[in-house]
Amino acid sequence: MKKFRKPLALLLALAMTLALLAGCGGSNNGQTDDSQTNNGSQTNNGQTDDTTPADEGGEEVEQLTGESGKYTYRSYTGTIAVNWNPHDYEDNTASDTMSYIIDSLYAFNFDDELHPTDVLNPEVDDDYEPYGGYVILPAMAADYPTDITEQVKAEHPEWIPADATEGYAWSIPLREDLYFDTGYHITAETYVEGAKRLLDPKMQNYRSTDVYANPWGIVGAEAYFKQGSTNYHDNGDEGIAFADMTKADDGQYFYNDMPVYIPLDVEMTWLGGTLRDTVDSYGADYFVLDHWEELVALADEEGLIPCTDDNLALLATVTTGNPAWGETEADLPNYVVYAEQMPDGIDFSTVGIYAADEYTLVEVLGASRTGFSLYYSGIQDTLLLVEPDVYDSCIKQDEAGNYYSTYCTSAETSPSYGPYSMTEYQTEKMMHFSKNDKWYGYTEDTYHVYKDPTDGQTYHMYQTTDVDIQQISEMTTAKQMFLTGQLSDYSMQPDDYDQYGFSDYLYASPGATVFFFLLTGDLDGLQTREAAADFDQAAYDLETIAVPSFRQAIGVSFDKQAYCDDVAPSYTPGYGIFGDTIIVDPASCTFYRDTPQAKQVLADFYSVDLASYNNDLDAAVDAITGYDPDTAKELYAQAFQDALDAGYITDTDGDGICDQTINIEWGVVGSLSDARQKQIAWLNDHWLEAVKGTPFEGKVGIVASKTIWDNATWADGIKSGQIDMMLAGWSGSTMDPYGLLQAYTWPSYSYAVNWYDTTKDMMTLNLNGEDITLSVYDWAEAVNGTIVTDTNGVNRVFGENESDPETRTTILAAVEGKILQTYTYLPFINDGSKALLSQQMYYVVDDYNPVMARGGIQYMRYNYDDAQWADYVNEQVAEHGMLQY
Amino acid sequence: MYMVKYTIQRLVYMLMVFLIITLMCFVLIRMLPLPALPPNDPHTEIIALRREALGYNKPYLEQFWIFIKNVFTGFNWGVSEQLYIGRQVWDVFLEKLPATMIVNLYSILWTIPIGIGLGILAALMKNTWVDYTISTLTMVVISVPSFVYAFLIQYIFCFKLRWFPFVMNGGTDYFTWSMFLSMIPAVLSLSFGVIAGFCRTTRAELTEVLTSEFMLLARTKGLTKAQATVRHALRNCFVVIVPGIFGEFIGILGGSLIIERIFSIPGVGALTLNAINARDYNVFMLSTCFYTAIGLMAGLVVDISYGFIDPRIRMGSKK
Repeated sequence: MKKFRKPLALLLALAMTLALLAGCGGSNNGQTDDSQTNNGSQTNNGQTDDTTPADEGGEEVEQLTGESGKYTYRSYTGTIAVNWNPHDYEDNTASDTMSYIIDSLYAFNFDDELHPTDVLNPEVDDDYEPYGGYVILPAMAADYPTDITEQVKAEHPEWIPADATEGYAWSIPLREDLYFDTGYHITAETYVEGAKRLLDPKMQNYRSTDVYANPWGIVGAEAYFKQGSTNYHDNGDEGIAFADMTKADDGQYFYNDMPVYIPLDVEMTWLGGTLRDTVDSYGADYFVLDHWEELVALADEEGLIPCTDDNLALLATVTTGNPAWGETEADLPNYVVYAEQMPDGIDFSTVGIYAADEYTLVEVLGASRTGFSLYYSGIQDTLLLVEPDVYDSCIKQDEAGNYYSTYCTSAETSPSYGPYSMTEYQTEKMMHFSKNDKWYGYTEDTYHVYKDPTDGQTYHMYQTTDVDIQQISEMTTAKQMFLTGQLSDYSMQPDDYDQYGFSDYLYASPGATVFFFLLTGDLDGLQTREAAADFDQAAYDLETIAVPSFRQAIGVSFDKQAYCDDVAPSYTPGYGIFGDTIIVDPASCTFYRDTPQAKQVLADFYSVDLASYNNDLDAAVDAITGYDPDTAKELYAQAFQDALDAGYITDTDGDGICDQTINIEWGVVGSLSDARQKQIAWLNDHWLEAVKGTPFEGKVGIVASKTIWDNATWADGIKSGQIDMMLAGWSGSTMDPYGLLQAYTWPSYSYAVNWYDTTKDMMTLNLNGEDITLSVYDWAEAVNGTIVTDTNGVNRVFGENESDPETRTTILAAVEGKILQTYTYLPFINDGSKALLSQQMYYVVDDYNPVMARGGIQYMRYNYDDAQWADYVNEQVAEHGMLQY
Repeated sequence: MYMVKYTIQRLVYMLMVFLIITLMCFVLIRMLPLPALPPNDPHTEIIALRREALGYNKPYLEQFWIFIKNVFTGFNWGVSEQLYIGRQVWDVFLEKLPATMIVNLYSILWTIPIGIGLGILAALMKNTWVDYTISTLTMVVISVPSFVYAFLIQYIFCFKLRWFPFVMNGGTDYFTWSMFLSMIPAVLSLSFGVIAGFCRTTRAELTEVLTSEFMLLARTKGLTKAQATVRHALRNCFVVIVPGIFGEFIGILGGSLIIERIFSIPGVGALTLNAINARDYNVFMLSTCFYTAIGLMAGLVVDISYGFIDPRIRMGSKK
């Protein structure tokens, strides 16, 4: 018996271990409960609930509890905000937090039956349908603003150009019942005081630039903010030629009497840092350093070198001698700045914001702003308003003399003038909001009401009484909390799609970014790599990726939907360089991809035969999948011949099969993560499938780059042929596809700059019966409001203020088509996210709108109050072990 | 006298090591490039001005001198520059420390007696099924990292059995029943490894001591097995165990990044990592200096403690 003791003990230990692990299995996952519907009870106000221990069947378990009449939205985030000061916040976590405690003068509503029109759309269309878009309504403002440009121009001619007649000065009437939750009464003067604090030079507030850096910023704001300082104008942005500057006796260049320097330590936006840091970082790989130290020695204490011909010659030896940097002397003006000494002692009365009376605020803008743009980005009231008493008490100064503010960094320092007050906050842990009883919106009944499209009833907004946000970093924790009713939403993870991919509670939110295959076309770079000693040209080839037919073939080789299903379930296929959420005319909420111009671009790019769809463009575009294996095979055959003719590849045995493998170096940025490896493996598998039966059968392959690129260098890798291919995308404003266009046309941004010159590719468009010819670059500039000259010598501009949306859309689509035809950017997937919403609540609409989303917290309706929800959850969890989604 | 001289000597060395480590960390963290300025973003100039005002463009040694001077003359660790803009980093650190300390303290309080107790039991019942079971479980537990237990505990006790909340409660009322309950999953997760560690050490030491000749002598003097074990065997094996206990207490202050993350404990573990990611130099330097000082101090305390536990050990003596 004794000899069995040891094995028995081991078995016992093993059994105990297994027993522990066994507890992990056997759930009721995957079962859905169709009995739950979105039709539930609605009651009154409520308070937060909590999980507390309670007896159930003699066993201590955590029972969800809740208060009757309370409606709590419980969310989570990976990173909870630490600073939501409207003057100083820097990230999205802050703006999410601010959204609960601030309000705005004018706000977006769904265009429901109660508010079918607004100042932008005063007429109801025949085809009007509620909840098809949005309207802009006065919220904290008592009415829409009045244009008083002429009046202000007469009083302050220094603020407004003499020829301006409208859109510069706006009078905004305020409600009289506006209060912070501290009891502080909000008047027009409060906004002015807020602006004064925002622009206070000693504070150097991060958000101050938002009200002066744009042409339509508040007049006088920049001069007030920068008073007494030296303003270095980055000539990389200004683009002033040396020929337009004057030279002093000592040889230093001046521009408009302002000295010009070569700065070593001034941040230059086009460079992404300072010249000194850039040269130090890249060294001899990109620059020639023979005279660098000589140049540095010329700098004064501030790192400024007088811009003279001699010093420029020294600089030229650094920046133009290395082909990797690829610049010539023509690029030297980008490296200089001119120094503007800002006057000191400027009074705030010179800034174009003032109180005309207690409840009338006047804003004077630097450029005309009307219509949608006035409300969307012109007034910027939410940046200004702060509670002056609390704000001033939060300003601190450190030992070095720098000023800081702790305003809006805790519950105590976060006065609210929005629907909720912050009642609890703990850094890196949680924040809690409760109804702000001093908010006017809970009492007035014109703006904050809506007609529910589900039941046709009229409701007051903000049924949610409390908002609880926790910092939860682990998705498994969040998921388990969601499934036990302790969270109101859960962001789907890739592993969840099998189980919840078809849930009735799953909501998809498309993003604004289209990720495209980015293909290099830099033949010189490819050939340089092939010439390397360790490259086996007999076995491998790199140049073929520059063959247009090969690039075209790649574009139709992959089933985008299959990729989304297999690798990125929250994403959707992408077809153009602009995604489905891009709005081309914000006033009418017109989606770009819904316009005929945009559809025609896709039909052309994917070579759709309209005749086979009875010339129905909509049907033809709807049928586009971007995946056409037959066409791909034809294009690969064509590419084989093209590459053979060009001498890139060989077919020595004449079997019609490429001798070389087309090795595609995939650009890896940051790290070769598991997700990236999965991505590459999927693409490799499906590419090999696509080339079956073609001369490239078994002869293509994507390999992860040996070089791990970082965010600052990968673009250069593509441009110079060091990276062959990668997945990348430009994110931009949903409302401003025109601005995003410049990412593809500006040489400094364009990835294709070395093989596609937008300034030389001419394009003729017929606009309003007139043929106009401009370069692709100039078309993009013109549609962004820059005056350009066409081939007939006529000045053209098609900016927001000069042209109608239809014309601008036509230009946008034409340029998009041109960009696509370079086959540098092959649209692949559209970003997005999917989340489960708790059975406790529901959205008023299912369809996602990029401006309104699904109504957010203001439109959210509840099936259960917190007490009912707790009962329901406890019952379901006792029965099924978890809630059924 | 030897001890006093030894202690003073060690304190001087400690200060030197502290300064060297601080300088190294200071230079290394500042060598990490600051987040790139977004091109064509008007906020760039504000960021550039802020960096200039914070002295980032000064030489590293000049920055280090200012830092050291502020710390030693006014215990001023500066303000947070990225994570908690404008807040004194010492205040932020103190705000985070209690949660980490309490969770780890609860863990220590019950892991030490259990770990040592199991070790004693295994040693006393050496080569029995009890010993085999404890030893095998100890090996299993020690081999598995604590975050695995964390997920298991959360799944079993919070999700399936619903005995405890998923995450630690918010707020700073650390000594309420509700808060205690919410800490238990984290405490359990931290405990398994520590229990196994103490158990293994105690068993090994005690097993060796129990077979010593002086134990035989103690028994022949007429002491019972229990008396001999408690009075002689345990005392001897504590020479090794007690420094381990000190080490665990030091660990209390360090926290566990992964456990804090899983159970949403607003402690110091995440603070240091966040400071590195965000390039919040002052927060990082405070964390680094704090743990460096604690670590150095712990080494000294452990060394000195040998002398108290076993009078035969005289630190610093050349004899």
